[in-house]
Parts: sequence; C-alpha cells; structure tokens
Amino acid sequence: MAKKKNKQIIRPWCWYCEREFEDEKVLMQHQKAKHFKCNMCPRRLNTAGGLAVHIQQVHKLEPENLPRIENALPGRDGYDVEIFGMEGIPAPDVADYKRRKEIELGLTAGSISQPQAKRPKVENRALSEDELKAQLEAHKALMGINTGPEPVATGESSNGGAVYNAAPQTYAAPPSGPPALPPQFMPGMHPPMGVPGMPPPFPPFAPGFPGGPPPGFSLPPGVPPMFPPGVRPPFPPVPFIPPGAPPPGMSPTPPYMPPAPTFVPASQPQPHLVPGLPTPPPASHTPTQGQSQTPSAVPTKQLVLPNPTLAQTNPDLKKKTELKYTDANFSPEEHRAVHPKYAYTQPAEAPTHVAPQEETRGKKRARAEDFL
Amino acid sequence: MSGIDEYLNLVSPPFDSISSVRYSPTHPDHLLVSSWDTTVRFYEVGEKGGRESQAKAKFDHRAAVLACCWSDGAHAYSGSLDTSVRELELESQRIYNLGSHSDSVSALVYGSEIKTVISGSWDRTIRFWDPRAPQAQVSVHQTPERVYNMDIVGNKLVVAMASRLFSIYDVRKMDQPEHRDSSLKFMTRSLACMPDGEGFATASVEGRISVEYLDPSPATQEKKYAFKCHRQTIDDVDHVWPVNALAFHPKFSTFVSGGSDATVSIWDHKVKKRLRQYSKLPSPVASLAFNCDGTKLAIGVSYTWDEGEAGLKTAERPMVLVKKVGDEVKPKGWSG
Repeated sequence: MAKKKNKQIIRPWCWYCEREFEDEKVLMQHQKAKHFKCNMCPRRLNTAGGLAVHIQQVHKLEPENLPRIENALPGRDGYDVEIFGMEGIPAPDVADYKRRKEIELGLTAGSISQPQAKRPKVENRALSEDELKAQLEAHKALMGINTGPEPVATGESSNGGAVYNAAPQTYAAPPSGPPALPPQFMPGMHPPMGVPGMPPPFPPFAPGFPGGPPPGFSLPPGVPPMFPPGVRPPFPPVPFIPPGAPPPGMSPTPPYMPPAPTFVPASQPQPHLVPGLPTPPPASHTPTQGQSQTPSAVPTKQLVLPNPTLAQTNPDLKKKTELKYTDANFSPEEHRAVHPKYAYTQPAEAPTHVAPQEETRGKKRARAEDFL
Repeated sequence: MSGIDEYLNLVSPPFDSISSVRYSPTHPDHLLVSSWDTTVRFYEVGEKGGRESQAKAKFDHRAAVLACCWSDGAHAYSGSLDTSVRELELESQRIYNLGSHSDSVSALVYGSEIKTVISGSWDRTIRFWDPRAPQAQVSVHQTPERVYNMDIVGNKLVVAMASRLFSIYDVRKMDQPEHRDSSLKFMTRSLACMPDGEGFATASVEGRISVEYLDPSPATQEKKYAFKCHRQTIDDVDHVWPVNALAFHPKFSTFVSGGSDATVSIWDHKVKKRLRQYSKLPSPVASLAFNCDGTKLAIGVSYTWDEGEAGLKTAERPMVLVKKVGDEVKPKGWSG
C-alpha cells in the first residue's frame, strides 16, 4: 500500500477486525497479539503466513487443519491473504472501508476513496444572474415540471407537500425515451447537458461528484456562500454527521436545505398540519425557502399522521410485559427514515449536469466537465 | 459468532441494516439484498465448504433502499427512501429510473400474471409500473393508509398498512378492493401470502402471527387464527418482540417467521404447530426468503431500529445468512 496523502483522515486499520489504530506500529502489535498468536504455545508471529508455517512445523498440524485466524471478521479469517500492518490489504476491501469511513465521517462520497488528483477542474467563476436563470429554466424543463419562475416549493400538486422542489424527478426517465434504454435527454432542453446521442448510460446523478451543488439555482440571500465547485467543504473529520449533511451515499446538498417530504418542520410541530394526499404542499415549506437557513437551523423532520382519525393506541397488556416496540402509529422504518443519518432531502439544485454514478469515475468526470 | 456456524455467511454484506432479502424466481442461488446503506447487492450464493459465494453486483442509490423485488431472473427493482422506483439490470449493472412516489417506497412486488411491478409507499398509494412502456407508471391507486407490506399470489394483492388496515385487491380490478382490519391488535409488521393462494400470514410488533384466508365467506373466515411467538419470559416479565419477517415455503404448507428476538421459527399452518426453532442469531431478523426450489433460506440479520438510534450503537454488523433447509420445513407425514 502506498502511503496516501489523506493519511490524516484514514488511520491505520486492521484488516482482520477493522479496528483503527494511532499508528502502524500499534497496529502491528495488535495484529501480533490478536490475530497472529499461536493458540498452542505463547509464540506470536508477524504474519498469517508465519503463523501457518509455525503451526505446521512446530505443532505438526496438517495445512488443512489450521485453525482460523482468531478474532477476525467472517471471511477474513483465512491464511490466503498476507497482511502486515497496512500492507497486503486487498484493494476492494480498502475501497469498501474508505467508502464506509466516508459515510461514517459524513464526508462527501469520494472524498477519501477518490484520489485527490483526479478531481476535475470545474469552472468556478460565478455565473451571471442570466446564466443562472437560464440554467434553472432549462433544468426545470428537463425535469418536466411546471413550476413558476421561482425555485420555490411548489412541487407537484399531487404529492401532499412531500416534494419540496422539482428535484425529486431527477431520476425520472423522461417520458420520451423507452425506459429500457438509457435515459435520453430531450434535445435542446438543457444546453449544458450535451447533445442527444451521447446520453449518459445512467441517471444523471453522481453521489460522488465532488463539485458540490452545481450552479443552476440562485441562492437565497443570506445563505452562507457555497463552496466553489471542486472544493470540498471543510467538514470536520469527526465521527458524526453534521446537521444537514448528506445522508450516506448522497449528493452533497447545500447546507441551507429546508426540510422535506411530508413532514412539518420542527418550528411548527403541531400535528394538525396534515398533508392530505391531493392537497398541494403546505405553505409551511415556503417560508423556510426564501430565508437563510444555516446548517444548525435545519430542523429534524417530524412524523405526522396523514389521517389522524385513524390514529392507533396500543391496547393495555397484562402486567409484566415488556413490549419491545411501542409506537402504535409509526413503524421503526418511518422513525429511521427521518433520523438525520438517513433522512433524505431532495436536492434542490438537482445535479443534472453530473454524470452517472457508477463505472470509472475519471471517465465520468471528464464527461461531466463537458456539460458544464 | 457462535451459533451461526450452521449457516453460510455471505461475504461483503451490506454495512448497514438490511431491509429485504429476495431470491430469484428462476435461479436457486441468486439473491438480492437491499439495505439502509443505500445499496442493493446481488449475490450468487455458494455452498458452505464448497463453491464460494460471489458478490456479483452492487447498485448504489441516493438514499436507503427499503424494498426490492425480482421480475425475471435478469431484472430487479428497488424502492428507495428517496421515493423512486428503479429498475436494476443485473447483467449490465445499469439502473433505470421508472418514476417516483411522493414519499418513500416501502414495499415492492412483481405481479407475474400481469407482468407489472407494483410499489407501495408511505404516500398512501400503490403504483403499477411497466418498465417497457414509454410511460413507466401505468396507474396509481389510493390506499387508506401508509403502505407497510405487500405480497401477491396470482392476481391477489394483499396490502398491509399503518393503522392495522389491510386491503385485498384483484390486480385486474384495482377499483374494487376489499378492506379489512387486522385481526391483530398491534401494528402490522410483516406479511406473506400462501403459495396456494388460499390466504396469507401476517404478524405484528407484539410477537403474534395471524393466519388468514382470502375467501370472504364466513365459513372460510372462521378458520383464521392467531398465535403468540417470538417471546420470552425472563424473571416473570414477558418480553415481546416484533415479528419482522414471514416467508412461505414454495412447496409445503409451512412458513418461517423471524423476529427482533433474533430467532427464526418454522411453522406448519395447517396443523398449527411449530416444527422447529433455529438457534438464536447475533441480531434481529430483518427479512427472510426461501429460494425458488425451497432448498435454502436466506436470513437478513441486522438491527431493525426498535430502539431508535440508541440501539444502533450496540448493534452487531449486518449479516446475510443462508441455510440449507432439510426436513424441518416439511410438514409431518408429508407425502407428495
């Protein structure tokens, strides 16, 4: 393993048990003590291979009878991978670990796992008012949503306030193209998207795209300045998700994102606000839009009963019963869905300029750049 | 890690809780696993001590994936917290967006009779999707409450909702649903239809399973019953866990149930008997699925948010376990 620039983010970790260590020396000590210790004598070896040879030669065990590596995660208790400190870790496991680390630290996907050097140069000059407007219009047209000229929470009328903005349809296959084909973009609708005939093979969304929210929406006044595209916002590398930070695997959303689907912002916790299905979004979304919303002000979404007349109460149980799940009105999944770690906020600026999400990132980025 | 030695523990499982495990309708070893880690993973399950399992594909989403299903052996669908329904092409690993609900998609099934994907959501609708049509969303049907679970057998679609409501649809006549109240007094947690189309089993958060029948005639309805399970009495206190998962065996009149008590039980609903309880697992059972030939049972083992965020801190790593099932899933004296 080559030493990485981002060493300060990723600390040395043990492949066998995924524990983190201050430095590689401690890691090696750990591996000797926890994983490469012979369980038949006090001997500690430096590597799994060493341990295997020791057991075979000293304790005369057949190779097929070797005990599994101790204290290892399932699937990582074999001798076929030669690990020495951070060396020898299979590349897919490194990538997987980094990705998980990113999520854990609330970092933008790709901030650790993608080599810094590959970040595309993204144009970071400020767009003029007109350009912004044009892009917004183009984007809306692309999304096929008839909203007013303002990027305000009108949403589609049918969704009961669930959709805060046009963005939810980002993925939506445009009505024209047969869905069995890669999504086609309507020609001429969105100039920056490039020409038809080179449609990205994936929905136009890349969680790993480092550019932050692409231009396309004018910022409400008073909003903290967005970081220029290509520059990672300085999230503190601490193991919690900052409020308003994107949930795992999501596009970086701007910190001023108002609360979203179906739920009333905490500032108005009264559950009387019922997003009935056919009713248009409650006005409660609108005020949050125009105003500045600092990250700390993003309220946790609240669960609201769509039809309070159906509200349930658990019947009384005989005494001495411990019911492990007691909410009669919302499932564990609904509670989980509004937890900041998972809560999904529709990206208001719908990163349509952004290339698809899988495949090799480098190629994609090049393409994304073309669109900008 | 003891107690799981009898299982095949799939390599590279999701790293956050599992929302559902689903076996291919055609291939006995193809398994889909959707997860709160925003992925749907596609595995070819191997044999314990033999052919190695393979993680064949991983589909990243914008938000947690709450449901997945298969259509044929090559296409799958996912329903996400971000409200979208997506088609996953397994061979090419491509994702196509079919459209979206206005709230998270909580349940997905494939109606093989009508060749239609059916999604249910907390936005209180069921939507039909035809991935081949130019406009993928075929129809929208309002439901009285937030959809929690769905299952389909033939043309009968059973929908379990919040507020203990059920609706039973004939997918060819969606405008004439039969609405029912749950016969259980607590929130519905899981649902599975009998493969013979006679009825379904449903379970609640209060460790109880109900076996019900589709035929609305009083004579048939009289046969329905419920029983307690996934409980334990510790120091005179009855601990009662939610029953998170149900799955019918494709051939026998038996089904399995999995609960937050981290156990899996096999039941014969005809003779109203428990056939077997497997040893306790390290974490709650989130989802269960039999493969198409009924020889294997996949178990999604992970934290199910019963205790909110607090429980996440002590939760074990998610696991996807596969067990070769034997005669324990066969009703006693089965002949045929």
